[in-house]
Amino acid sequence: MKLNKLLLLTLSIGLTFTSCSNDDDDAPVLPRGDYENGLLISHEGNFGGGNASVSFVSFDLNTVENNIFNAVNGELLGDTAQSIAFNGDFAYIILNVSNKIEVVNRFTFESVATIDTGLSNPRYMAVSNGKGYVTNWGDFTPTDDDYLAVIDLTTHTIIDTISTSYLPEEIIAQDDQIFVATGIFGFGNSVDVINTVTDTLEESITVGNAPNSLQLDAEGDLWVLSSENLIEINTTTNAIIKTVALNSSITAPSKLNFDSGNLYLFSEGAVYKMETTAATLPETAEIEGVSFYDMNVSNGVLYGLDAKDFQSAGTLTTYDLSSNTEINTATLRIIPGEVYFN
Amino acid sequence: MKQHLFILIISIGFCNFAQAQRDTIQKLDEVFLSDSKLVQYTAGIKVETLNDSIVKANPVSLTGLLAFNSNLYFKENGFGMVSSPSFRGTNASQTAVVWNGININSQLNGQTDFNTINTTNFNAIDIRSGGGSVQYGSGAIGGSIHLNNNLEFTSHFDTQLRLAYGSFDTRMTNMSSSYGNSKFTINAGVAYVDSNNDYKYLGTDRVNENGAFNTINFNLNLGYFISEKDVLKLYHQNYNGEREFSGTLVAPSNSKFEDENYRTMLEWTRISGAFSSKLKAVHLNERFKFFENKANDFFSFGKVSTWLFNHNLNYRVSNRLQFRSILEISRFDGGGSSFGNPKRNAFSATVLMNHKPTTRFEYNLNLRKDVTSDFENPFLFSVDGAYRVSNTYAIQFNASKNFRIPTFNDLYWQPGGNLNLNPEQSYQIDLGHTLNAKAINFKLNTYYIRTEDLIQWRPDNAGVWMPINVASAQSYGAELEAHYSVSYKLNKFSLRGRYSYTISENLETQSQLIYVPIHKGNIAFAYNRKLFSTFYQHLFNDAVFIIGDTLEGFNVANAGFGYQFNKNGKVQYDINLRIQNLYNKNYQNVALRPMPNRNYQILTTIKF
Repeated sequence: MKLNKLLLLTLSIGLTFTSCSNDDDDAPVLPRGDYENGLLISHEGNFGGGNASVSFVSFDLNTVENNIFNAVNGELLGDTAQSIAFNGDFAYIILNVSNKIEVVNRFTFESVATIDTGLSNPRYMAVSNGKGYVTNWGDFTPTDDDYLAVIDLTTHTIIDTISTSYLPEEIIAQDDQIFVATGIFGFGNSVDVINTVTDTLEESITVGNAPNSLQLDAEGDLWVLSSENLIEINTTTNAIIKTVALNSSITAPSKLNFDSGNLYLFSEGAVYKMETTAATLPETAEIEGVSFYDMNVSNGVLYGLDAKDFQSAGTLTTYDLSSNTEINTATLRIIPGEVYFN
Repeated sequence: MKQHLFILIISIGFCNFAQAQRDTIQKLDEVFLSDSKLVQYTAGIKVETLNDSIVKANPVSLTGLLAFNSNLYFKENGFGMVSSPSFRGTNASQTAVVWNGININSQLNGQTDFNTINTTNFNAIDIRSGGGSVQYGSGAIGGSIHLNNNLEFTSHFDTQLRLAYGSFDTRMTNMSSSYGNSKFTINAGVAYVDSNNDYKYLGTDRVNENGAFNTINFNLNLGYFISEKDVLKLYHQNYNGEREFSGTLVAPSNSKFEDENYRTMLEWTRISGAFSSKLKAVHLNERFKFFENKANDFFSFGKVSTWLFNHNLNYRVSNRLQFRSILEISRFDGGGSSFGNPKRNAFSATVLMNHKPTTRFEYNLNLRKDVTSDFENPFLFSVDGAYRVSNTYAIQFNASKNFRIPTFNDLYWQPGGNLNLNPEQSYQIDLGHTLNAKAINFKLNTYYIRTEDLIQWRPDNAGVWMPINVASAQSYGAELEAHYSVSYKLNKFSLRGRYSYTISENLETQSQLIYVPIHKGNIAFAYNRKLFSTFYQHLFNDAVFIIGDTLEGFNVANAGFGYQFNKNGKVQYDINLRIQNLYNKNYQNVALRPMPNRNYQILTTIKF
């Protein structure tokens, strides 16, 4: 039924687009699919359990549609959806244990392609110069098989690989460069810089131990949060501008976010806020007593994912950051991992 | 073994004449059986013995045997892969596996992989339902499985060769030999299994990739009367397995698992008047290597070497009363990629009492206390009894407190290992009815189990997974077993059915635990006529909850027939054909891990 409905919808959208192509200005803005204007939540599901999924949630959290890939395409998504990357109309769902990337239309969630060769423990993807760069751990133990897979986004095939200095985790693009945090579980301490014109590793910037979050601020500076410190890097010179030490309240920070001149991070059950111009991390928390598996901040609203006991349904809770109060909660699926705005 | 029990019970009714006979039986038990308390101190416990013919009809893993011939429920990660049992709604680490009286659950993860146990080289496999920690130690909460090698002090020399070939290029070879006289006996066996295991995933165009395995088992048992009163016994078993670990429907795999188990026990039995004493020295060695990618040499490993000394002293005060003390001291030396080199020392003292106040009533009282270097252990007890209402009907009951100690992984795993764990503690009661008429036997058991301080791994505030004593659970249910056999001229029929109803709930959430079927049943039918035999067995497994979802239930059946040749000749042999998954059902007992499609096996046994 769902499929039929979707088919009709796409058909009608197609028709409308064709008929309206010449008078865009007057045409009402039609939704490009069921899953536009809301949040996409990727769920890891249990490692090895094959129960990864994606949920669509309205911004006010009042509408929740779980397991949308399965609903639209009639097949299972895969094992351990680590993250989703976006480019144009496409979403790339990276399935760590399945060793594949499901490419879907980000608004309809119809399957476009499956990339299932050349990946080995894929984690995150960033897009630059029409190419997707996917961090791959390779096998866990050996340290010399970690790489970036370079995907041609028109053909959905892997065209190149680039070795990284250590286990590559989060990745972020800035013009013709991408930055790769390498390190995990207390090991590794560099950010690899890759030139996406030549697809070569240009430099490794030494940062704190086990860098876990990368963010670009409004000025285009790169911020790297690790288990040791918070570092700001000038992305033109790749030089470190500022190093902020951890303090006695913030000892295991992660999940760095920017919103209107402030940065937010999570540490041991609490959310902290720091002005980007500050030299030290705050001592007092904004929100306490939460357990976020991931969080995202946008326009004064914090979206926090709680994976609970990793065996029962997780939740998404929104907080108003002007008053630090809860707004709404939605029940999701098993181990929600990341929030994206669609 | 059951026969012995039967004889024992019957003999109570007679007087002087029977008494001498009973003394003899009990002495013989001490000599022949590796674990005599399984016969003498279990009046109120449901114990079922799977005899040789059932074991032989279900080669070769303990999983296949018990799924179709017991109330146990199995989760198997694909055929031949890791298999974990569940007894009465409890989990794999709450099921003890006992080899010749010794608990052999892994010290690393607290479980036994039932696909590493090859059944062919055991004389008897007993299923003891319900708590048994007092007698069998940690993990005997839902029940225990007993693998026994019995010694035969009679004049004989038999050799047997079994060969089988089947679908997916599966080959089995088993050679065993037994020799004995009144003073000395020895038996040895070797069993090798090898399979490509590349079965079809029904409903897809795929096959089971990366599932090939080979395993080898070796057994050696011997006994020698050093004097009229003293017997020396040696039991040895080792297992080596090399298995690729197949993936799931949505995740490929290229990993491989190699494991080894060595078990050796030297026992000195002395029988003198009312006393019998057994001194055992046991060495167990387990080790595994896990290759994330079988194509390269990187692996993680774990190993534990166990030394154990055990003394049993049995004192028969009278025909109606006997006591047994068991003292055990053990030392465990571990090592592994993720937990350094931990050591553990343990000591336990157990007292058993068996009393038969009347000819109709018998009961046991058992107490045990453990002392372990890493944590505090609860004081354990059990009481069980049987009342024979009539010649055909008896009531059994038991109540016990049992435990499951934290494993090496729970305590020492880095990161996460938690040295502040307590053993899981469990209370249970069980009421059984047995009805033994001429051709029909019925057993009905109802039970209640409550387990507290369940050890579960959860992430802490910093995201590090660690085990904590967090949950409590209760299980209750009923088990029904019926057996009907009849002979008519040259025809022999036997029909055996089992059904279990199991509710197992997390007490916090009040919801049924994952992977516990509410209904499970199996039926086995056998027919023999002269040299011809045939069987049919059927398993129904209800749907189960899995994390965030439900896994469909299934019906699966096996059938086969065989013919014996040259029955009276010097060399006897038979040929059997077996069809597994007769109806070619697409089924999974672990989500996304399909089990084999219909497959065939041809098997011959040559005796000389």
